[in-house]
This record gives sequence, structure tokens and C-alpha cells, in this order.
Amino acid sequence: MLLESILLGLVAVWGVLDYQFGTLYTFRPITTGPIVGLILGDFEMGITVGASLELIFMGAISVGAYIPPDVVVGGILGTAFAITTGAGVETAITLAMPIALIALSISNFIAALTPAFLKIADDAATKGDSKRITKVHWLMGAFGVVEKFLLVSLSFYFGVDAVQAVIGSIPEVAINGMAIAAGMLPTLGFAMLMRMILNKKLVPFYFLGYTLTAFLGMPVLGVAIIGVIIVIEKFGFLDNSKKFATADGVQEEDMDDDDF
Amino acid sequence: MTTSNQNTVENQPLITKKELTRMCFNTGALGMEYSWNYPRQMHMAFLLMIDKQLKKIYKDNPEGYAEALTRHMEFFNITPQLAPFVGGIVLSMEEERNKGLIDGSAISGVKAALMGPLSGIGDSIFLGCIRVIALGVGLSLAQQGNILGPILYFLIYNIPAFLVRVFGAHLGYDLGFTYLQKAQANGTMDRLMHAAGILGIMVIGSMTCDMFWAEVSLKIGSGETAQTLQEILDGIMPGLVGLGVTWTYYWALGKKVGPVKLILLTVVFGIVMAYFGIMAA
Repeated sequence: MLLESILLGLVAVWGVLDYQFGTLYTFRPITTGPIVGLILGDFEMGITVGASLELIFMGAISVGAYIPPDVVVGGILGTAFAITTGAGVETAITLAMPIALIALSISNFIAALTPAFLKIADDAATKGDSKRITKVHWLMGAFGVVEKFLLVSLSFYFGVDAVQAVIGSIPEVAINGMAIAAGMLPTLGFAMLMRMILNKKLVPFYFLGYTLTAFLGMPVLGVAIIGVIIVIEKFGFLDNSKKFATADGVQEEDMDDDDF
Repeated sequence: MTTSNQNTVENQPLITKKELTRMCFNTGALGMEYSWNYPRQMHMAFLLMIDKQLKKIYKDNPEGYAEALTRHMEFFNITPQLAPFVGGIVLSMEEERNKGLIDGSAISGVKAALMGPLSGIGDSIFLGCIRVIALGVGLSLAQQGNILGPILYFLIYNIPAFLVRVFGAHLGYDLGFTYLQKAQANGTMDRLMHAAGILGIMVIGSMTCDMFWAEVSLKIGSGETAQTLQEILDGIMPGLVGLGVTWTYYWALGKKVGPVKLILLTVVFGIVMAYFGIMAA
């Protein structure tokens, strides 16, 4: 139990370090799920629960200044509780989002304090001392590392019995209801994503993708390939490649003419 | 003789190709979001990314170097994969700054001007398009418990990401800022964003009908000819229920109902449906 709590905490540590290794997006449930499964002795369930959670969190991405719910903590604990209690995907889904939101508010609290260290980096900059700025860089991230390690390992260590007890007392009809909800909720992830990227000009392409899969059963990769072909045609990346690539070149000539 | 010699030296780019490639893999470039903070976001990581090259540019000018460090402690935020591109542009400008050709404020101005449009384009390409395709391929395998799913997801997302980092650093350094100004003025950036949007939204549309598993199990009719409502709806249009639910969520999110509230409402809705036997998982 203790060992598992620590190992899960280390998965959370990797979730933060991911941002130091090139924002690889391995902190998402689809990739943390299998590792959690491996730790808790059910690799395959880790993969499937991680995949289901990924769908729910699909739209929870940081775009611009928007800070999404804490998908690292929510994903790891959601998967871990689902495996240890044997309650499956439904539990993972209902637990993960509230956990992620609590975790976000804790992160926000810490994020309000850490900018105090920026003063050190500012001073170092005026003295031309980039070594000290490097130290502050590592320090700022270390707060997240420690925070998420403690949050995940402590919640798992102390929470698993409580979660088990609560789940044991849920009536059958509620379990079925949660399963229905679990089947519906992936589309919430899509809706959140659509809120971010959808505009009037893109609506027809949404339905094109939908129709290809609904009526022809085309897999996602096939739809993506058709999408690439449409983009190539629509923007003339190939046949007008000269015109497109040198659209700037043409302007450059114009501008040169203006200059002289 | 000496003059022509000096000319060739001056025309040679100061930062070598190798150095630019290496820059894409240093602490700053990879850790663009590690020291992220609310007030100034990715500023420190950006500074650390170009630090070594700044040292080279200002090697005989310590005041200039300190001034450059102070300049890059200012606010910065971008899609992390595009940071090396901006780094390349900034380095070409810092060289001119060292020669006294431009003002330091011009560099800050360019950085500030690039953030918005490049983040827009970067987020739509990486988060709204490549990531969605990677998930589309990865999720269907992962749902069957196949580890290839997460692995493919990882590769499909990250291979383009790192190509863009390296290619971007070189492009930015070679072209400088003027090119980008033109690209924005003639609408190339908008077209790229639209293209990424088309790809991303088609994949989302496709996934809408794949990833909805609840079923309307209510039976209509009696005996042998009884059909579930789901079968009837699917007969009209496959995946119609999922489509309806997706757009209901979309509408609700637009009305500022938060995701957590929607999840709780969905659970309550599910329990009611289970109680009356209208839906099944």
C-alpha cells in the first residue's frame, strides 16, 4: 500500500517533469493510465480506464491563458481508484473530474506564492548572471513536483478505503446510471474541444467527418487522410504550390519596387 | 583587402546551424512550461533557451548581455513547440542590436507582436489538430486494452512537434522578423489556421459517432417486431443520439454551464434513465 502510494506519486512527478522534457503530453490519462495499471497489477485495465478518462479530459487543455482542471492528478487518482476498488470506468469518470478541480485549486494557491522568487531572477538578469536564473527556473518547477507527489500519494494512501466504502454502499440503479453517464460523457470532451476551435466556416467539415464514419464506418485515420487531401486541394498546396509558396515572394518584389 | 575580408566575416551568420539545432534541446527550449508562472509565464525558459547564443553574440559586451537578459525576463507565452522559431528570430535581431543597428525595445516589440498570432496558429495545429488525430488513432486501440494505442498517440503527437522545433529555429534565424510580418499581412497565417481547423474538426466529427456508448434501450412495439428506440434512430442516421448529446453539451457550455456541473447532471440523468429503463450502458 505504502509502496504503491509512493510509486503513484512518482507517476505524478513525471507528469510535472513532462513539462521539462518538451511538453510531450505524456501527463495525460491515456499515457499515465497504463503506468498506473502496471503499478497496481492490472495493466490492461489501466490502458482502458486511461483511454476513457482521456476522452473526458480531451477538451481540458491549456489554450491561451485558460488553465484546465488538473489532468495529471485527476487522471492518476481516477484510474488508481477504479482499479483498486474494482469499480471500473464509471467510478473513474465520476471521481476524476472533481479530483482534478480540487487539485487545480491547490495548484492555483501555490501558483499565487511562487512569483515571489522572480525577484531573484530579475536581480540576476541585471547582473548578467544566467546561472542563477537557471536555478530559479528549476525551483519554480520543483514546487509543482513536490505538490503533485504529496497530493497523489497521500490521497491514494488515505483515500482508497473511504472510496471503497462509498462505492460499496451505492445502490445498483445508481451504478447503472453512472455507467450510462460514462457512456455519454466522452462527447462532453468533444464539446469542450469544439468550443475552442469550432467556427462557422468549420461546421460543414465537422459533419463531413461525422458522415464518413457514421455511414461508411471509416476509421479516424481515414478521415484524417481525407482531411489532408481536402486541405491540399482547398489551399492549392500542390498544384499552385509555386503561387502559394511564393505568395510572399511576389509581395517581396512588389515591396522592393516600392522601395526603389 | 581588409574591407572585403571583414565583409565576408560580417555576412557569415554568427550562430551555426549546429548550435541552432542544439538550442532546441536545451533546458529552456524543452522546459518552456516547467517554470511557467501566472505573472510572466514562459519568460525564464525562453531566456534560458537563447542564453548560450546571447553569450556568444555579446561576448565582448557584458552590459549588452545583461541588458538582453533583463529584456527577456519580460512576459512571454507561446505554443511551446513554436518557441524555438521565435528564438531564431530574436537571435537574428539580437545580433543587429549588438551592432547598434536596432533598439532593444524593437526586440521586445517583435516578441510581443508574435505571441498572439503564433499561439493561435500553434494551438490549432498542435492541440486542435495533431493531438486530436493522435488521440483518434490511439484511443480506439487503447479502449481494447492495446498498449500500442498510447504508444502511437505519443509518437504521432511528438514526432511532428520536434520536427517543428528544429525546423522552426533554423527558419526563424534565417528569415528574421520581416518575413513573418508579410506572412501575416497576406493572410498565410489565417489560412494555415483554417487548414488545421478543417483537419481537426473532421476528426472530431468522426470521433463523435465512434465514442458514444450509451444506448437507448427502450422498446417500441411488441413481440417479435419490437425494436429499441436506438435501432429506430440509428436507422434514420447512425450515431444520431451521440450527435444530439454532443451538441447539447456544446450548447450548454456556451451558456456558461461548467464541465463539472455537466458531469453531475449527466450522472443524475443516467440514474433517472436507468431507473425507468429507458437507457442502458
